Amino acid sequence: MKNFNRHAHYFFTLPALLLYAIFFIYPLINGFLYSLTDWDGLSKTHKYIGFDNYSELLSDGRIRNSLGFTFRYALLLIVLTVVLGVVIALLLNRVKKFQSFFRTTYFFPAVLSLITVGLIWNQLFSQALPAFGKAIGSEMLSKNLLSDPSWAFYGVLFVSLWQGLAIPILLFLAALQSVPQDLLEAASLDGANAWQRFRSVVVPFLIPTLNMVVILSAKNGITAFDIIVAMTGGGPGRTTESVGLLVYNFAFKEFKFSYASALAMILFVIIGLVSIIQIRSSSRYEVNA
Amino acid sequence: MRTEKRLTAVSYILLLMGLVVILTPLYLTLITAFKTTKESARNFFSFPTELYLGNFQEVINSNNFFQFFANSIMITAVSIVLILLVVPLTAYAISRNLDKWYFKTFYILLILGIIVPFQVIMLPVTKLMTQLHLLNRVGLIFLYVTFALTQGVFLYVGYIRTTIPKELEEAAYVDGCTKFRTYCSIIFPLLAPLTATIIIINAFWIWNDFLLPLLILNKAETYWTLPLFQYNFKSTYSVNYNLLFSSFVLTIIPIMTVYVIFQKQIIAGLTGGAVKS
Repeated sequence: MKNFNRHAHYFFTLPALLLYAIFFIYPLINGFLYSLTDWDGLSKTHKYIGFDNYSELLSDGRIRNSLGFTFRYALLLIVLTVVLGVVIALLLNRVKKFQSFFRTTYFFPAVLSLITVGLIWNQLFSQALPAFGKAIGSEMLSKNLLSDPSWAFYGVLFVSLWQGLAIPILLFLAALQSVPQDLLEAASLDGANAWQRFRSVVVPFLIPTLNMVVILSAKNGITAFDIIVAMTGGGPGRTTESVGLLVYNFAFKEFKFSYASALAMILFVIIGLVSIIQIRSSSRYEVNA
Repeated sequence: MRTEKRLTAVSYILLLMGLVVILTPLYLTLITAFKTTKESARNFFSFPTELYLGNFQEVINSNNFFQFFANSIMITAVSIVLILLVVPLTAYAISRNLDKWYFKTFYILLILGIIVPFQVIMLPVTKLMTQLHLLNRVGLIFLYVTFALTQGVFLYVGYIRTTIPKELEEAAYVDGCTKFRTYCSIIFPLLAPLTATIIIINAFWIWNDFLLPLLILNKAETYWTLPLFQYNFKSTYSVNYNLLFSSFVLTIIPIMTVYVIFQKQIIAGLTGGAVKS
């Protein structure tokens, strides 16, 4: 008993160690090993083929297409989340009456599941928008925009923002409320206009939050799955097939298990690089802020 | 001062427009759920002329809706309890022994796990669960506890190192407390503020999660969670959209009720979790 107590801290970590080793580390290593084989996911045998999957990935047009969509989507998601998040937080910060009512409502989409949100909007795009378009006599709005290759992208982006802005808005609002009032007053006494006050006084207080929002929306954007499955299923004509969905489709629908594993590894490398860049640049900013 | 007033007025107008964007889909969902197909076809946007409950009856009767609801509750509740048993205990042990290589290595491995995108583990873990015959609720709970470790331990270690002085435990040891007793009766209660955040982040994540249940439970209908039901319901009943909308309403009601009651804690928890990670 005494001996147990001496080493108690080791025992404390045992359940977590077992879980992490079995359900995280082991699959992670296995995922890499699968990517070096030709396994379809079902057959009993598979053979080692080295990095053939990876070289095949590079020349696969579908993957290039999917990476293109994913990057465009993630980039716009990050930029719009930051811009709209800051703007809406500024508006919320300005109003005094009903502020908590607005806040509660603006936050509500955050508690809904992405799959439900996506399915609701999918229905609204296919039922409500055409009905509305016909009523106002607009030909463009009379069809389902999600089945139009040039519009589906923006439909998905819009809905991602509808749900994904909720948390960033509140984070930015909290940051705005941490700006000391006397600093702002001193700045206006010195003759700084609203824009100058925002740039030189408010922005430094927003930077830590900004970093976090960028990381969160980058990760959500690059690994997008639920929202795509619910809204477009990757269509029309694979125009919205995100990498996250493509990994799933390759592995479970098209029986290219090892190929999908290789693609997942690429995704891992991309996220790793993004994280490193982000951590580097944010530590540089923190010195200034 | 005049421009100030004008700016405030513009702010209200813009915020009201945002409110319309947020509430319109929810309003349309609600009214469509109470209409017959005929009535919706006549006018999608009009308020229902009568409170037609047939859609709800059909969604509930033709599916094991309450079973799925119970599954979601069970999986979320059990996972949260296990997370609270495992995560803070691990974090506590790590935070007090960061000078030892074992704890330090484990901690670094856990933190690195935060940046691993789920798609990387998704395929091998599904194979593993198949081999272990864990394509069921128990298997899913194991996975939730495991994936909650990375961020959870990270948050707890930071919290313990900044807010809980070592002297507290040393006094307890002098009084003859074992390390486990000390943790249970002194440390864990002091972690309560962070524990509230951890409960909220993980409960929402697990309740709303779609991909893991899709991978682990999709083949066994009796185990389905609400998001999985929602997805499968859409594939089966895509023709009758009034039914679909009433299924949306049914799945939103539980989370909305919780939100209305605990909105302060939920907003603090979900934004706090983002800040701390």
